[in-house]
Amino acid sequence: MASVSTSKAEISYIQSGLLSNPPLRADGRALHDFRTINLETGVVPLANGSAHLSIGQNAHHGGNGTEVLSAAKLEVENVEQGEGIDGGRIICTVTCSPSAYPHLSSQALEDLQYDMTTILHETFAHMSLLPKNLGILPGKKSWTLYLDSVVLTDSGNTYDALFMAARAALWDCKVPRTRSVEYKAPTAAPGSKAAESGQMDVDLDVSVQKSGFDTMAISHAVDFELPDYWDEGEVLDGRERWPVCVTLNVAAQSTKGPVVPYLDAILQEEAATPLRLLLVLSFPPGSSPNLHSMRLLGPGELDLSQIRDFVTSGEKYAQKVWEGLNGKLKEEDLRRGQKARDRFARR
Amino acid sequence: MGSRVEVLNDGGFRSDGRRQYELRDMTVDLSQQGVADGSAVVTHGLTQVLVSVFGPREAKMRSQTMHDRANINVEVSVAAFSTGERRKRSRGDKRILEMAATIKSTFEPVVQTTLYPRSQIDIFVQVLQQDGGVLQACINATTLALVNAGIPLLDFVCAVTGGVLSTSPMLDLTLLEENDIPHLTVAVMPKTGKVTLVTMETRLHVDRFEEIFRLAGEAGKVIHAEMKAAVRERTGRLVGAMGSGPRPTGGDFEDDAMDGV
Repeated sequence: MASVSTSKAEISYIQSGLLSNPPLRADGRALHDFRTINLETGVVPLANGSAHLSIGQNAHHGGNGTEVLSAAKLEVENVEQGEGIDGGRIICTVTCSPSAYPHLSSQALEDLQYDMTTILHETFAHMSLLPKNLGILPGKKSWTLYLDSVVLTDSGNTYDALFMAARAALWDCKVPRTRSVEYKAPTAAPGSKAAESGQMDVDLDVSVQKSGFDTMAISHAVDFELPDYWDEGEVLDGRERWPVCVTLNVAAQSTKGPVVPYLDAILQEEAATPLRLLLVLSFPPGSSPNLHSMRLLGPGELDLSQIRDFVTSGEKYAQKVWEGLNGKLKEEDLRRGQKARDRFARR
Repeated sequence: MGSRVEVLNDGGFRSDGRRQYELRDMTVDLSQQGVADGSAVVTHGLTQVLVSVFGPREAKMRSQTMHDRANINVEVSVAAFSTGERRKRSRGDKRILEMAATIKSTFEPVVQTTLYPRSQIDIFVQVLQQDGGVLQACINATTLALVNAGIPLLDFVCAVTGGVLSTSPMLDLTLLEENDIPHLTVAVMPKTGKVTLVTMETRLHVDRFEEIFRLAGEAGKVIHAEMKAAVRERTGRLVGAMGSGPRPTGGDFEDDAMDGV
């Protein structure tokens, strides 16, 4: 992603800085230090879950930094008519704002968008990450979760930001509680109660009229309703499974020399060391870490042993990102829950 | 949520509690966004638009440069989550292209392009939330972003929507109102009162047009006051931070520079 043009001298300067002992970076960070990450959830009121994440953005004047806005929106899809999948599905898209890439043509922007969309979608849309509460009426209706991300500004390390923002938006997402509705024809049995109206609300498990021939409990529910219009719903299932991404940029002067991975590259560093390894990992509690996705981007090559080492060290860094992100998300939950409770108490 | 919501009830209140001629709450944020030369985030009630301006700079497409003036390029992008129903609009969508062309023709006579021959001014509009008055918010945000970027303009351009419910005119419509009543968008240059944009896509009786057109023009002046205050405050803070002038919190400082604008 050549978002900034660098000269050969600059490239050489950055590379030797990274490979020197002690390593030197433009802002004085260590090789494995991230810039400050700011996260806020619930920023898009019309979406079911949303997050605004920025890496390296100045807190005072909101200047440069990598900013991503992610929103999760649930739409109902009719499985019977062929749209959607029974049990629900997730669709991810990424849009790159032209103000983030002011020197790219619109075609190049589309290509970049497509690359980012593919990486995000292939990871999150996989069946192993499918949340359990995305179905409404089995075989008839289900929720489709659209995860839309917008890259507002880019100053390096966009993939990490995208995955973190996507995870935060999914964490924040609330699925509205639904109740199935069954339609019953008015009974014509003599001596029964006065003629009932054409439709009735019935909970799925309770069948009011059992026919003698009804050996199988077939669900007759054909539609659903929201029992409480104002209720945001229950939390999306699978919080412990959503992965985080770490980008291990590879600083190397030549293919034979020493190879040093470093994290959270700014634009100039990305231009100087274009080879990088994306690792998408999750750490579900109580089981060993899962590697969801791995991509080697950029020109260059790595030995298998180097990749093995990178995966091992990448796991350590991803664990720190995971813990940090989870801590912040729980804090956000608390902040928003607390304010709501205060408002309710004061009403 | 079964009963029909009234656009204007008997007490003179609208569906969101406003009076007939009352404008929505407007906030302006002029802080820097990324590497843009100028940017602004404007909200009118629940409609939020972010505009970034780059330029004047070397044109990306040489074929579109003009020898005696700058080329203005407007790109609009609407976030898929901006509306109640999720709708992904591609960049080439006709409605979006039309909005971009409208914004461009609104600002062509206002930006002093003759000062920058053979260059390009890029205006990138990002619609973050929609609740009616999107074009109005885009134009107001574009004006502020251009001012923030330091690009010379003849005057501010202030836009507002107006509509007529049978015989009662109303200003600054929400989505609910826009779907119900005929409405128009008017953009004015407040110093001279000249109008740079009038657009209407619904049917309105010609007798009702004059009143709402005049009202919208006056509302533009009210919006201008808000925008001027926001620009003034930001400039005051920048000047204070640069150390070139007294701190803006000082009480005895009278700045006349912006009085005539």
